[in-house]
Amino acid sequence: MKKWFYPKLAWTGIRKNKKLYTPYILTCVGMVMMFYILSFLSASEILKSIAGGETMQSILGLGSGVIGVFSLIFLFYTNSFLIRRRKKEFGLYNILGMGKWNLARVLLWESLAIAAIALSAGLIAGIVLSKFAELGMVNILQGSVTFSMTIPPEAILQTLVLFAVIFVLILLNTLRQIHLANPIGLLRSENTGDKPPKANWLLALAGAVILGLAYYVAVSIEDPVSALIWFFAAVIMVIVATYLLFIAGSVAVCRILQRKKKYYYKTNHFVSVSSMVYRMKRNGAGLASICILCTMVLVMASATVCLYVGTEDSLRARYPRNISLDTRVSDPALLDSEKIIAVRSLSAKTASANGQEPTNILDYRVAGFPGYVQDGRIETNDSILNSFQLFAYSQVWQIFIVPLDDYNRLMGQNETLAPGEALLFTTKMEKYTKDTIAIGDQAPFKVKKIVSDFSDNGANAMQLIPSMYLFVPNFTETVSSLIETNDQEGNLTDLHWYYGFDLSCSDETQIRIQKQLEQALDQLSLSTEDTIFATQCEGVAQARSRTYSLYGGLFFLGILLGIVFIFAAVLIMYYKQISEGYEDQFRFEIMQKVGMTKKEIRKSINSQILTVFFLPLLTAGIHLVFAFPLIHKLLALFSLTNIKLLILVTVICYLIFALFYVLVYRITSRAYYSIVSGAKEEAV
Amino acid sequence: MRILEVNGLKKVYTTRFGGNKVEALRHVSFSVEEGEYVAIMGESGSGKTTLLNILAALDKPTGGTVLLDGKDLSKIKESGLAAFRRDHLGFVFQDFNLLDTFSLEDNIYLPLVLAGKPFAEMKQRLAPIAEQLGISDILRKYPYEVSGGQKQRTAVARALVTNPRLILADEPTGALDSKATDELLQLFSEINRVGQTLLMVTHSVKAASHAGRVLFIKDGEVFHQLYRGNSTNEELYQKISDTLTMLATGGDKR
Repeated sequence: MKKWFYPKLAWTGIRKNKKLYTPYILTCVGMVMMFYILSFLSASEILKSIAGGETMQSILGLGSGVIGVFSLIFLFYTNSFLIRRRKKEFGLYNILGMGKWNLARVLLWESLAIAAIALSAGLIAGIVLSKFAELGMVNILQGSVTFSMTIPPEAILQTLVLFAVIFVLILLNTLRQIHLANPIGLLRSENTGDKPPKANWLLALAGAVILGLAYYVAVSIEDPVSALIWFFAAVIMVIVATYLLFIAGSVAVCRILQRKKKYYYKTNHFVSVSSMVYRMKRNGAGLASICILCTMVLVMASATVCLYVGTEDSLRARYPRNISLDTRVSDPALLDSEKIIAVRSLSAKTASANGQEPTNILDYRVAGFPGYVQDGRIETNDSILNSFQLFAYSQVWQIFIVPLDDYNRLMGQNETLAPGEALLFTTKMEKYTKDTIAIGDQAPFKVKKIVSDFSDNGANAMQLIPSMYLFVPNFTETVSSLIETNDQEGNLTDLHWYYGFDLSCSDETQIRIQKQLEQALDQLSLSTEDTIFATQCEGVAQARSRTYSLYGGLFFLGILLGIVFIFAAVLIMYYKQISEGYEDQFRFEIMQKVGMTKKEIRKSINSQILTVFFLPLLTAGIHLVFAFPLIHKLLALFSLTNIKLLILVTVICYLIFALFYVLVYRITSRAYYSIVSGAKEEAV
Repeated sequence: MRILEVNGLKKVYTTRFGGNKVEALRHVSFSVEEGEYVAIMGESGSGKTTLLNILAALDKPTGGTVLLDGKDLSKIKESGLAAFRRDHLGFVFQDFNLLDTFSLEDNIYLPLVLAGKPFAEMKQRLAPIAEQLGISDILRKYPYEVSGGQKQRTAVARALVTNPRLILADEPTGALDSKATDELLQLFSEINRVGQTLLMVTHSVKAASHAGRVLFIKDGEVFHQLYRGNSTNEELYQKISDTLTMLATGGDKR
């Protein structure tokens, strides 16, 4: 009997506080499950064997680290709610003659019980779901499916060790709190008188101003590179502003409402507004954190989903054709030599040897170099380029000079240019606004027209900086003089012949053709002692699995972390509301005695919980709307410019998020109401 | 005119486990006339609080009727009860039951706001009451900033502001020191003098000695009652003490 006294006491303690412990235990189970699945996937042999699987596994390994750290913080946080609620009980035990050592034993048994439930249930759920997760990953990687079931012991061990450590830390923290408190303090810890919060107008105003600035920055930025630089500044501003507005702004708004006597002294507003002041004072920081968490989850989820869904787009931007041959030459004359004809026919021959025909041929000459564009002049000087300032980044361009003939042929146009005139095309949403443009010290070209499209060559997709294409009538002349001037300062100009074609066959055949072509080109050895004719062969097929594993890994992780963070956010809300329910109990009791109907109480509760719950979601939505232009520009850096897709994905993410949110809101408001009204019935 | 009429009131509680029955009120009958000041006395567990809860329509009796202004409380629908309470009854509690999120002023306004009265009228009603109770200067303060006596006076103001037919006070002096107790009892006598009907539940002899009539409850029944007649507070105090002694030392009916 005596032997089982402490375990029994512990178990009763958990059972009697079901409303508090159930979500906590569920959280523990969920975290164990998530962590196990991630460590399972990063150890899975099946994944490792698939092409690109290892990239994915290293991303997932990173993710399991994030989940581990997050579990620690999050479980600590939720546990602190539990302890605060139970301090009174512990105080009573203490007064009844249980020493702190006895209390510690009860707590030890409680922790053991919770850890046992969480670990066993979490691992079982994890093992069951891990196979599904694996199948999902294999599907993302487009590998072949196997149905064998494995349980890697190292993943189990990792999970057990991590969570054992977390539970021990939580227990130690609880013991510390119990140890520091005296019995009377424990008994009273819940009812400490609250001063009415004062509105801090200065902070509220500062919050509004900073938020306005951040929004302005987000909306007004036009090019991706500045977006990248300003993104973090804007994020920090938004975070600061959100905290200020939730903490000081909300109280200020309530105070303004209270001053409007006609508004305030109405049945619907009276109780709600006055309680909201206190609620926001206590929860302002928490709600702001939740709001920021929500925004981050949404941004992360929509960006990763977008990247994954848009993988083909990105691939096409990086590899404009199934197979591309990029030939670097040392002399403009080589661009019209017979070597080029030889490569062309070699390509056709290799393709037809495999029963294929090159289609959709991309064939043009280009001279490329980085340039610093200022006052209608492209500075090609190496030293200027190396000493430019960070904020002048938007003035650095990748310059491509292309013959007008090639432009006309590729785009099916019929443009004509007089000498000294040029057509211009820019990428990555950057604009060039001057009428003339000069290359180095040459006579300036007159920009006859800004054209709206040109075939990409993959270089643009690889670089952060935007590209500027100049289509000139006398290519050889322009380029020769450029190479001459550059030679004195170290040659930055590369002459290229770009040749690409599509194939209508499977990835395997494409890879085979690419390999054969590479070998054949090696044998041709077109470079000589003093001239360079170096051809590089690239195929999209080879890159596809690599890209999918990278984007797919990010996608998977984005979704998984998104789920975990949403879970965390709403659970924190749940606990906040529940613990406030206990505090509000006696208030609603009084109101009922004074003549408030149950219906009015329910209405007031609903409006308060609704505000507390949906304020962060709504704010997150507004943040997201203003962040949208920034995200759009940043994704453009990943060659993803499909704005419709981005909007669609963002909206869907938001809706799913909101749905989940509403669900938890309903559960919470029901639990809250039962706490507020339930105790009253017992008291009578 | 009769304000309150209680006939054969009975309340039986069934404990949650086992089904043991506890009879809190066996057979309680009494009535209160308009303008009266009645104190109900009894020891802990004698059924005082149960009685008050039933009178306040916060609890339902097992048997018997309560007529307030000739209206049977059990006939009022659940949805109308809160409004009825608000319009006809005022409450003063032992632990004040002020809301700490409201200033004293807003606490007093609460029943009026719930009744949907316009702000101008609320203000008009509060001014004379606050003056009478001596809390005009502290209306802007919050409950945690003022003394127990001031809190209780605020609670009285909240009870008075709706012009209720009957004020129910549950151990109103229970949490007050002797000075604040004297002040509050003085106040009750004053508002009774201008015509307010009061029903107070207490086990303080001193509090009861201010009433016009004292009912004694024992074992769920009205056991005895004392009228003030022409006695002073001190004389009534003595009579109550004697009665209590008799009750305690075996004045058993049976």
